Amino acid sequence: MYRQKYIFLLPGLLVLVAIILFPLLFTIRVSFSSWDVYNPGLNWIGGENYARLWEDARYWEALTRLSVLTVGTVLLQYTLGFALALLVWRDIIARRFFRVLFLVPMMTTPVVMSVIWRTIFHESLGPLNPILDAIGIGAQPWLSQAGHAFAAVMIVEVWQWTPFMFLLLLAGLLSLPNEPFLAARIDGAGPIRTFLSVTFPMMGAISVGAILIRLIEASKLMETVYVLTSGGPGTSTETTSYYIYIRGMRDFQIGYSASLSLTYLIVMSVALTLIAKALIRLMVKDRT
Amino acid sequence: MLELSNLTLAEGRVAHLDDVTVSFRKGRLTTLLGRTGAGKTTLMRAIAGLAEPDRGRIALDGKDWSRLAPWQRPVAMVTQQFINYPHLSVLDNVAFPLVRRKVPQDKAHEAARDMLGRVGLGTMIDRRPSQLSGGQQQRVAIARALVKKAPVVLLDEPFVNLDYKLREGLREELVDLLKAERETIVIYASTDPREALQMGDDVILMAEGRAIQSGEPQNVYARPGTTRAAEVVSDPPINLIGMEVSGGQLRLDRLADLPAHALGRDLPAGRYTLGLRAHSIRQGGDLSARVSLTEVSGSETVTHLQAAGQALVMLERTVTNHALGTTITLSLDLGEALVFGAQGRLIEKEPVHG
Amino acid sequence: MRTLYLALKYLAVLLWSAFVIFPFLWMISTSFKTANAVTGGAKWLPWLQFEPSLSGWQSLFGGVGGINILKPYANSAIVTLSGSAIALVLGTLAAYGLSRFTFKAGPLKNGDITFFFISQRIMPPIVLAIPFFLMLRFLGLLDTLPGLILIYVAMLMPIAVWVMVDFFNSVPRGLDEMAWMDGCTPVTTFLRVILPNALPGLVVAAMFCLIFGWNDFFFAFTMTFTEVQLLPVSIVALNSSVTPWWSLSAAAIVSVAPLAVLAFVVERFLSRGGLAGAVR
Repeated sequence: MYRQKYIFLLPGLLVLVAIILFPLLFTIRVSFSSWDVYNPGLNWIGGENYARLWEDARYWEALTRLSVLTVGTVLLQYTLGFALALLVWRDIIARRFFRVLFLVPMMTTPVVMSVIWRTIFHESLGPLNPILDAIGIGAQPWLSQAGHAFAAVMIVEVWQWTPFMFLLLLAGLLSLPNEPFLAARIDGAGPIRTFLSVTFPMMGAISVGAILIRLIEASKLMETVYVLTSGGPGTSTETTSYYIYIRGMRDFQIGYSASLSLTYLIVMSVALTLIAKALIRLMVKDRT
Repeated sequence: MLELSNLTLAEGRVAHLDDVTVSFRKGRLTTLLGRTGAGKTTLMRAIAGLAEPDRGRIALDGKDWSRLAPWQRPVAMVTQQFINYPHLSVLDNVAFPLVRRKVPQDKAHEAARDMLGRVGLGTMIDRRPSQLSGGQQQRVAIARALVKKAPVVLLDEPFVNLDYKLREGLREELVDLLKAERETIVIYASTDPREALQMGDDVILMAEGRAIQSGEPQNVYARPGTTRAAEVVSDPPINLIGMEVSGGQLRLDRLADLPAHALGRDLPAGRYTLGLRAHSIRQGGDLSARVSLTEVSGSETVTHLQAAGQALVMLERTVTNHALGTTITLSLDLGEALVFGAQGRLIEKEPVHG
Repeated sequence: MRTLYLALKYLAVLLWSAFVIFPFLWMISTSFKTANAVTGGAKWLPWLQFEPSLSGWQSLFGGVGGINILKPYANSAIVTLSGSAIALVLGTLAAYGLSRFTFKAGPLKNGDITFFFISQRIMPPIVLAIPFFLMLRFLGLLDTLPGLILIYVAMLMPIAVWVMVDFFNSVPRGLDEMAWMDGCTPVTTFLRVILPNALPGLVVAAMFCLIFGWNDFFFAFTMTFTEVQLLPVSIVALNSSVTPWWSLSAAAIVSVAPLAVLAFVVERFLSRGGLAGAVR
């Protein structure tokens, strides 16, 4: 009777299965082969790639670095995004102007802005060091020292994606009912107590959603790194995606990089699932 | 004739329809009377093809419908919610079912304009549904349902979301509109016994997914087959009182002992249930009861009472204000009393002798 | 106390505004510089600190040391628009199906199928890069526009499904049922009744598709070599060696400008409360 329902679902589903599911299954098979530039093709070498990966310190370092970078930037983005959303939520002059302005960075192409940021961080020609000089902090070796390069990547990520947090959290704030705030005012609660006991608890679910989306996106990080530091100096800002990219698309070690990316996918999925569960338990009071 | 046989539909352990066998006649308005959740809406959705029964058969003039998709069934429906197409004007809304049935645009618009005139919206044909009041939106929905002249028209509590006054007026308009359709089967669901009995040429009582009784309204009202049917069909609620007959005595539980002839008929000894409609309880007499609630509606007063642990409902055709908590005296008029046997089945007053 | 609070509030807003605007101002200023103005240390103000020049802007159309940006621009527009359009059509159809009908494939039900669609957004692009690469090579579509469009469809469809499933779930089912009563089959119901009322959802979905499509670099970079270049790739290419910062900045401005305008659209939705449902 409802045979027509397949007309809706099947085209999209088949396209997605064809483009994503089959290649992914193929990758699993490739990860058990030694496919590379010299010997392209599907031989069977068992778990050799995975054994090599287990010993690959550069891979695990990249994964650790990525975790620190991801958690660090997302927490910064959440804090700043929440603060900004609160600032332009209610009575403020030129509210809509600031809202638009705060949204703009997330609309811009990340790599293109990273290229501009690279000129900003330039040690002798960029505009940042003269400013730091003027306010007494002094010029910094932004892209040539490990710690600084790491910070530079974080600054760019915060600039680019805090607006996304801001967007979701402001949308959440704007959809809150008014009554609890009236009640808090009648009880004589100040702004800080109102925030802690009314606003923040009601924003629990949307906070978890926003943080999770950003964690997922941030854990893919590679474009900013590619443009800004090329993973350097040395391998000090190399992320997992970038390392796999080097092994796979540059060295063309297809088999090995397949095992790297599958391991990465599994580690990320497990970690994100655990984080999601913990966050939901921590921040979502009433699960409806 | 639209015939439903053995219609059954369950969801998990909840039976929405339980072996329903009923039929609806052409040119007549049949009301489905039952409380919320009695299965009225499910029955209509099954007829329309929107709910798929697990078992049973639906047939119009002997033609089986079970393999027909909703869009193939000759059915029109108006629901509780005011649903119209938001992107179309009122005129296009009403013309829509005709246009979908390949009626030429100008003919469809002509018919729609005519139908809108009859529901009193002739001047609003260019508006969007969102620019109309609730009552007007529902008129559009009714016009859209009637314009296609479907042989079966389903009306699922169409006025329940409107205020009381509007409801009365629209109901009368609707009955007038439907009188013109001599070949149409009209099914109207209602939770209100007065509405159902007043409007219906036939009435079907529903409870817990079953059709428990059907027939002409006066008949069903005067002789509800079971205590359940008596409850469904009575507004205000019927008083059901346990009764013991033994040795020339009628003993009404917790209320009174009466002589056997009080009911005007002979009953063998045993347990019964006495059904006493609210208007058969009168003020003044030798029973005393405490007032627990009084509702005045129009020129009638409904009073809920407690008499020695037995809840009673009294209907007076005057506006009277009984103060809460006061004690008043009552008498019971057993002239129209219904008697139900131990299984809750009606025992007719004058059993037909072979 | 209250004045202090207000002062701090506006100070914070202005500080963040400065941070947001900083790269844009620098980019605009630099786009009017010449080699001399760049190498002499950071300068901001035209006429006062340096003599403005249009050479950076002229280089966009093939001047000395520049790039011809028209071709990559057109390529990016073609890939983003057709990728988004196809993803939107397929995604909207699938979302409608998933929202209105029950599907079952073995143990998998609607929720699982919806999750399969949306979960593609969780997949890191690098994981898909190698299979995509091999697949496009097999199909002979490496370094071609159709190849990229195919990848973009896969990348953008989950977004369309995500937004539209949510949207259709908020449209009362009674509307579809009324259309069926009026003689519409599911397909005509979708075309005549649901689609004309789906504009708000479609706008949000299209916006997200355009943002993610236009801003993609990774696939544009890994699936092409020489024949087809998309805008971000051509700009990043300028990043190497002796950097003509003025061309770079001019190119960055024209690349970023069209989508920056979308911030106004998003804000409008936000202020009308239209996004709360879409992001949850």
